Amino acid sequence: MKMLRKIHRMFKLHRIFIKQDLKKLMEYKIDFLTGAIGMLLTQAINIFFLSVIFARIPNLEGYSFEQIIFIYGFALLPKSIDHLFFDNLWAIGHFIIRKGDFDKYLTRPVSTLFAVTVEKFQVDAFGELVVGIMLLGYSVPKIAVSINFVNVILFVVAIFFATFIYTGVKLITSAIAFWTKRSGNITYMFYMINDFAKYPTTIYNRVVRTVITYIVPFAFTAFFPASYFITGGNVWYNIGGTVVMAVVLMAVGIFVWNKGVSAYESAGS
Amino acid sequence: MRKVFKIYRPFTHAGVLIAAQYRANFFFFILGDILRCFINYFLWHAVFTSGGEKTFAGFSETDMVVYIFISFLTSVIAYSDGSYAVGEEIRDGNIAMRMIKPIRFDLAFLFQELGERLITVTLIFAPMMLGVEIYKFVVTGVIGFNIVNFILYLFSLILAYLITFYFNVCYGYSAFILKNLWGANFLKDCIVGFLSGGVIPLAFLPPVVAVTLNLLPFASQTYIPVMMYVGMFDVPTIIYSFALQIFWLIFFIILQQIIWNACVKRMSVQGG
Repeated sequence: MKMLRKIHRMFKLHRIFIKQDLKKLMEYKIDFLTGAIGMLLTQAINIFFLSVIFARIPNLEGYSFEQIIFIYGFALLPKSIDHLFFDNLWAIGHFIIRKGDFDKYLTRPVSTLFAVTVEKFQVDAFGELVVGIMLLGYSVPKIAVSINFVNVILFVVAIFFATFIYTGVKLITSAIAFWTKRSGNITYMFYMINDFAKYPTTIYNRVVRTVITYIVPFAFTAFFPASYFITGGNVWYNIGGTVVMAVVLMAVGIFVWNKGVSAYESAGS
Repeated sequence: MRKVFKIYRPFTHAGVLIAAQYRANFFFFILGDILRCFINYFLWHAVFTSGGEKTFAGFSETDMVVYIFISFLTSVIAYSDGSYAVGEEIRDGNIAMRMIKPIRFDLAFLFQELGERLITVTLIFAPMMLGVEIYKFVVTGVIGFNIVNFILYLFSLILAYLITFYFNVCYGYSAFILKNLWGANFLKDCIVGFLSGGVIPLAFLPPVVAVTLNLLPFASQTYIPVMMYVGMFDVPTIIYSFALQIFWLIFFIILQQIIWNACVKRMSVQGG
């Protein structure tokens, strides 16, 4: 009961913060619009790039154009959802700790991690989210994905946990800043690995495949879960792997974060 | 000319100091960005294996790999912060301080950025060039380094940087009217990245589109220098391309001057 009330309170707070961010957004409408168009265009160009490639080859390592688009679109969903809700973690590594601004979260009557993430609702992410949904809408009817109750549930589960793979990577790397004052560039380096997940891992060599499967497991945010929906096989590895990786990364992330908060010394005076 | 260098050298020095301060930061960001080249490398490798053909639009697999890495290197070196820096100065009103000094606005920026560039170039130019040449040697078995192409590339690269710089300064001036924010710059980078051949060689596009894009200034920013390095231009095309680059450079220098003169007359500084 107490737990429920706590969760209810968190959601209520979250709503209030989102409302604040939407107000800010209305202030900078044009900036948001140009940014969102930019995001849309970036993805459109990438899709165009793929279509130019596919005009010259029948398939890519056995994957058809529609299947590649499905994996690509799938990859955008967890990425954009993480971007939408947990974007403020970037700011931790870039400047919040360095400038000593982290102090204010320590005074809040909620956990620091919650206070940090809830502060920013990154609406730019809608650009990618919309593209992801559009690409799935285009590709799903053209490939043999069976749409049934179990698959819909598995889809939601996969997207949910895949989102936390992104968040986990950002959490661990940005928490390093508690000791080093600054880790935004480290977060960036690890985060960029997610781009590998947009294509079938079979195109990479063994080193890359091992890294994106077991070390920075972005392959579980897109290729593995998506290939379950394409082939219908190996649900335990493809979807289960996503769940396990997300839980492990988040557990490590929260552990490192809490260690970091206790090691945190405010910067400046 | 010597006088110009004497006046603006302190800006270069300041630029070097700024860049030196952030070099570790820069290094990590570049590492993150280079990953994208490797993705493209594997993607194209798969394309050439799946396609069964030796060349696409005149590119062999080796050419394509060289193109991916050299176009990345070119876009990093020829990158200019101009539009952001100018826009920022206009928004916070610092531009007023520049106006009362007896120096040229564009040159002060240019020399500062050259200073910042110096460190970038020393950090990544040699390692990446070497990497590409070693790759070529491993794949083809012969040393493919062509000194003529390399020199042509260097000249073209310098022109590309200057075009990019002046283009960005012009774009930055739009902040006088638009009060540019993050979105406008992001959109610009995205469009320019594509039009300059940074995503895909322009030769892969339909002929009509490719010819048009070749004429635009964006091709002069990345595509032309890279094609010189890959060695896919014949002599008339090389001469023509240099002429085109020089034309665009002069065009943007003059345009920059015109906008600057016009803006100074009608500017209002926010909170200045």
